[in-house]
Amino acid sequence: MRFFLRRLSFYLVALIVAASINFFLPRIMPGDPLQIMFGQQMARMTPETVDALRATYGFTDEPLIQQYFQYLGSVARWDLGLSVREFPKPVSEILREGLIWTVVLVGSSTLIAFTLGSFLGLLASWFRGSWYDSIATPLSLVMQSIPSVVICLTALFIFALGLGWFPTGYGYDPQLDPGWNLEFISSVAHHAVLPVLTLVVFQMAAFMIPMRANMINLLGEDYITMGRAKGLSSSRVLFQYGARNALLPSVTTLAMALGFVVGGSFITEVVFNYPGIGYIMFQAILSRDYPLIQGHMLIFTMVMLIANLIADLLYVILDPRVRTGSGDA
Amino acid sequence: MLFFKLLLKNRQALIGLAILSIFILSALFAPLLAPHDPKRRVGGIHQPPSAEHILGTTRLGRDIYSQVLHAGRISIAVGLAAGLITTIIAVVTGLSAGYFGGRIDDVITFCTNVILVIPQLPLLIVLAAFIGQVSPFLIAMIIGFTSWAWGSRVIRSQTMALRQKEFIHSAELMGEASWRIITVELLPNLISIIGSGFIGAVIYSIMTQATLEFIGLGDPSSVSWGTMLYHAQTSSAMWVGAWWDILVPCVAISLFGAGLALLNFAVDEIANPKLRANSAMRRWKKMQKQIARESQA
Repeated sequence: MRFFLRRLSFYLVALIVAASINFFLPRIMPGDPLQIMFGQQMARMTPETVDALRATYGFTDEPLIQQYFQYLGSVARWDLGLSVREFPKPVSEILREGLIWTVVLVGSSTLIAFTLGSFLGLLASWFRGSWYDSIATPLSLVMQSIPSVVICLTALFIFALGLGWFPTGYGYDPQLDPGWNLEFISSVAHHAVLPVLTLVVFQMAAFMIPMRANMINLLGEDYITMGRAKGLSSSRVLFQYGARNALLPSVTTLAMALGFVVGGSFITEVVFNYPGIGYIMFQAILSRDYPLIQGHMLIFTMVMLIANLIADLLYVILDPRVRTGSGDA
Repeated sequence: MLFFKLLLKNRQALIGLAILSIFILSALFAPLLAPHDPKRRVGGIHQPPSAEHILGTTRLGRDIYSQVLHAGRISIAVGLAAGLITTIIAVVTGLSAGYFGGRIDDVITFCTNVILVIPQLPLLIVLAAFIGQVSPFLIAMIIGFTSWAWGSRVIRSQTMALRQKEFIHSAELMGEASWRIITVELLPNLISIIGSGFIGAVIYSIMTQATLEFIGLGDPSSVSWGTMLYHAQTSSAMWVGAWWDILVPCVAISLFGAGLALLNFAVDEIANPKLRANSAMRRWKKMQKQIARESQA
């Protein structure tokens, strides 16, 4: 319990730090923040409108510290301000529309990459030095160092434009009405194949390489030798004795890797015009919709914190040392 | 120099080094190698590769071969600069946290953890969006100053492990100054971890720079692999069938990244003898076969 309280308070502080960056950034940039946000439009506004906007976005003449706490308060109420591009629409509402797409995209691809990557890493450690290991391991490292932009553009070009197997963009066939019917769901699935696959390719090495390294370290342990000496089958030694322990660090990696996945999913959504929050962010960047860009960073931070919390929970389930409190976590 | 001997014996390292040297040399001598000015219109719109333009031209009629050579200079320079900044901050914070412990460790570890849970790319995008069209130099700075946390954590834990070793204890008992212990006793033992961290940071920086520029946050008038991709995408090169416009920067980034990754893989293997399995396993298997043969005979 104490472990969780400590983690929770840490996550709260991290969230406040992210919010503070959002608060101070427009204020330390040279020039009037409102001028940066609205640009040319400012010239055509009456002074009353400008004052009203100033009040709406919190760039008032009040002392900075007061503005700061007002801002933190509004973040706590999940009030992220109003979008500039779609003016009276709140940022939180725009983001909510996209969130489900991103969560499904990132969630499913991470799950696939984690399972597949860990399994391939396991195989590579077991058949260490074989042709499989000497091809798969460097190959996955090389894949990891290819930016997701390149992976996405290549996949789009080959499988969507070239072979025509998959649609070139968007989350579902725009002629269909969203609903819980087979036609719509299969359209969603068909549109999701390429984005999910590119994200799996993008992340897989992040799970495969540590798994291989952990297993290689573990396979030298006495209890593995003991297991084999007892005459247990290879698969039992591999999965019950080795994999269970080697997976532990991977779970922490899972949460950490999410930061990179979020970056990858952003690009995937941009390239495939996928209607998630990454694509919304891209639109916001194009129209310099700063409140939306900032809201975006906050929501991604939240996603990261939740993922970390889940990883903490998983860790407790997987590692008995944390549960009894004897381990120093 | 056992390290370099092992490096040159490693096939992956050799391939990696070969790729990297080709890229770095062609970037250094880009003005001599490039037949055209990368920012000038020298041909028709979206000309496919031909004898005149080996890699074709862009929408604005610029020679892609000349562009990719010049772009390499900026992309590689940004990668190296950002990687260097990242590594220096990671080494300084990681070493001091791991060596001094106590208050200093608490503060540094806290900062590292906070940075680790704030997602990188959205943070960079917010920073870049407020700065406006970000020059390559500024891109290197913001990447460098925001991505050191992971390296710092790795170096810290390694330092803490080393700190327990006898040679550090004896150095402390002899009354050596802590700066001397850190630079003379600790640093040499961390060099492989720092080296592979540096290579990783360069890979990451080049990827991130390309990403930021691809989504239009870079300075579109500079010529780098990222801005090449940006211009190709905004001129719908893929949709009008000008695949060479997209393919060339993609291949350049991927190959350079692959070269770095191969080198890093080799460095890891050399630094961690447990991972140095391939050759040892092969020898072991050969030995087993020989034993089997001998016992049959």
